Amino acid sequence: MIVVHYLNQFFAGLGGEEAAGLEPARMAGAVGPGRGLAAAGLPVDTTLSCGDNFFAEHEARALSQLLQWLDEIGPDVLVCGPAFGSGRYGYACGSLAREAGRRGIPVVCAMTPDNPGVLAASGSAYIVPTGPNVAAMRKALPAVASLARRLGEGEPVGTAAEDGYLPRGARTNVRVARLGAERAVAAMLARLAGQPGTEIEPGRDRVPPPQPIADPAASTIALVTESGCVPAGNPDRLPTRHADVWLRYPVGGVTSLDAGSYESVHAGFDTRAANADPNRLVPLDAVRALEREGRLGGVHEYFYTTSGVDTPVAAAARFGQEIAAVLVSTGVQAVILTGT
Amino acid sequence: MRQIVVRQIGEGHPFRLGMMSRSSTMSMAFLPRSERQPKLSTLSGHYCKLSTMGRRQHENPFTLASCSVGDMAEGPQTAWSGANLMVSTEALAAAALRQAPALQDVTVHLVRPGEPVRITNVLDAVIPDVKAAHPQSTFPGVLGGLTPAGHGETTRLDGVAVLPVCDWTAAGLTSPGEFPSAFVDMAGPGQAMTAWGDRAAVVVCCTPRPGAAVGDADRSVRMASLQVARLLAESASGRVPDAVESFELAGQADEALPSVAVILQVASEGTLTDTFLYGGALIGMVPTLVDHREILDGALTSGAYDWPAVRNLTAFYQDNALIRALTAAHGSTLRFAGVILALGYLDTAAEKQRSAMLAARLAAQAGADGVICTTFSSGNSHTDTMLTVRACAERGLGTVAIVAETDSGLTDHVPEADSIISTGNTDELVRAWSPGKVIGGSGSAMAGEPVPLYCYLGACVQTGDMALTAVPG
Repeated sequence: MIVVHYLNQFFAGLGGEEAAGLEPARMAGAVGPGRGLAAAGLPVDTTLSCGDNFFAEHEARALSQLLQWLDEIGPDVLVCGPAFGSGRYGYACGSLAREAGRRGIPVVCAMTPDNPGVLAASGSAYIVPTGPNVAAMRKALPAVASLARRLGEGEPVGTAAEDGYLPRGARTNVRVARLGAERAVAAMLARLAGQPGTEIEPGRDRVPPPQPIADPAASTIALVTESGCVPAGNPDRLPTRHADVWLRYPVGGVTSLDAGSYESVHAGFDTRAANADPNRLVPLDAVRALEREGRLGGVHEYFYTTSGVDTPVAAAARFGQEIAAVLVSTGVQAVILTGT
Repeated sequence: MRQIVVRQIGEGHPFRLGMMSRSSTMSMAFLPRSERQPKLSTLSGHYCKLSTMGRRQHENPFTLASCSVGDMAEGPQTAWSGANLMVSTEALAAAALRQAPALQDVTVHLVRPGEPVRITNVLDAVIPDVKAAHPQSTFPGVLGGLTPAGHGETTRLDGVAVLPVCDWTAAGLTSPGEFPSAFVDMAGPGQAMTAWGDRAAVVVCCTPRPGAAVGDADRSVRMASLQVARLLAESASGRVPDAVESFELAGQADEALPSVAVILQVASEGTLTDTFLYGGALIGMVPTLVDHREILDGALTSGAYDWPAVRNLTAFYQDNALIRALTAAHGSTLRFAGVILALGYLDTAAEKQRSAMLAARLAAQAGADGVICTTFSSGNSHTDTMLTVRACAERGLGTVAIVAETDSGLTDHVPEADSIISTGNTDELVRAWSPGKVIGGSGSAMAGEPVPLYCYLGACVQTGDMALTAVPG
């Protein structure tokens, strides 16, 4: 099992606030709190560190270097912190955890539940909650080491309640004593007695509709769809369901998505009518007409597509964030999002 | 003589009367109130037993006489040997094929719990049932003649499931990837993921005739599996049952008790994604009030083969846990107002809103104070459930919704849905397992790979028939 441990400059022994501008550094073996991890049964192979201010001011550069090292080392598990109540340190831990998690590396962090690093980790890390300062170290390290060892060795980890980490937004299955029907009847009696309870607290991620665009004639719009519309033959093998990718295809100079040239591979509806006129999936013909009439400023040079059927909410949220980031960076002002 | 377990409707305590004939059990159904313990917690469990007495006995009330199968083995003919059932797979296959003109071949396999077998391309699960006095009216409108279900005695086998199997893609009737794999594991980490891994499986493998129309092939598959189910149950004809249950809503329930209805969501989008009421596909149905006993008695059958983990199998209608829980609670903690069938996975916003509105109206007309809203399949249908919850709330009805989750939670939600039962996260991976044998398909059937839970038949069914839920992780 290969273990990598991330620390800020202070806990890496490189200096206090005066050293917070230090660039990322790489050290062999355990340093500082890493020795405590080793004592708790988790020997550290490599320690990475970065100055808190450097990370805050040059996040992309810091992450790029740290991730390059992680790619070289190929750890079985990454431990970040404990950062306790330190906002800058916690943010660096959480941001690195998020990116490492997206690379498939299991990550364990430790910090206070209100540390900005918890949000930055975006559900990618098992975060052990700690007290606000270093006095919490003794209690945190065994919990961190236990989780990290199991993750690194591919052993199962319990639920947030069982293992004491902060809920990651993931949902873990458990078998309970009563059937769903029996729980539903009990929940109904409770609700009719004025005490409704629920097994699912819905997410708060509700997006209010944006304001209308001020001047469509001066705006570039993009076409985005979950209809599974792809070039005929599905050259990039977009999955028909449970898609884990989104794709984009150029429409510069294209005026219409013609039958036979495009098709839907979506497994969630009868695609025959759509395939007879793929413009009904991605309304390129209509936006080109508006563009010709001068009522739309322009049409973005690609359309973006996935097949939205059986897609986990987590994957769908990621697709949306990634596509939106690309569109914003290319100056698109509005999106027509077609669903099926 | 076997021990008979009996419970009076609306009471919580099962009475082990022991060594009694069925007729004496019926006469003992009304015990002094002081001897009963109306305690809801004792209603837990899949097999709470209900009494045989109902106030509508003169109308030939529905009774379910269940015979437990101890073990099952191949035999020269289908017949009992003590508590064990011998099965002639050859005779069953031949009888099934006679009902199935669009099939080229039917083979029947017996698989017992613990055998290292993965069954793939499983379409449905059916509990062996037969109408005791009129075998020809079993599964009315599909296999049997069209007679009202939910009356008279039905003989049922406990501990056995009929699992029809067909590889539609190999038959050229669906495109690859159109339906996910649908597994039942009889051992390994997936065994506990379905309701079928712990009971004997009678697997009915169907091969459509080349060139058969998909609708004909599907009808033949359904006929074949229901025929096998009926024949298995017929073997128990004349046997003393292990339990006799009634689902009459007996006596005058206290008007002060809250009244609870179920909106049972079903899907009917066309061939291979249909649900059938008395043999008729429900596509285009407006919400419909049905008798809960009809559902238990084979009037509602499945022909929907998408969404393995979250489709309503025929067995989940025959042994519906919500109907069991509500009939058991009727008269003690609530009044059971009835079951409304409503479609999910509707195509347009207008259809979804209309169906939700009409289902809620029916619930109100049935006098419900509260409605338990179930869900069929995933994604799209969750919007139907949420709109139904909203429509009920707008009428002042309290709701509880039953839904499955994906990684990170719900695909749709309305603020009115503040009481939700989770039937688990369909995206969670089940540990890799290498079965010794795969039945029902020619591919690898994901042997040796982690399998997403959504591939396990009925694992997260949103009728409330399983005990899985999801918690923060």
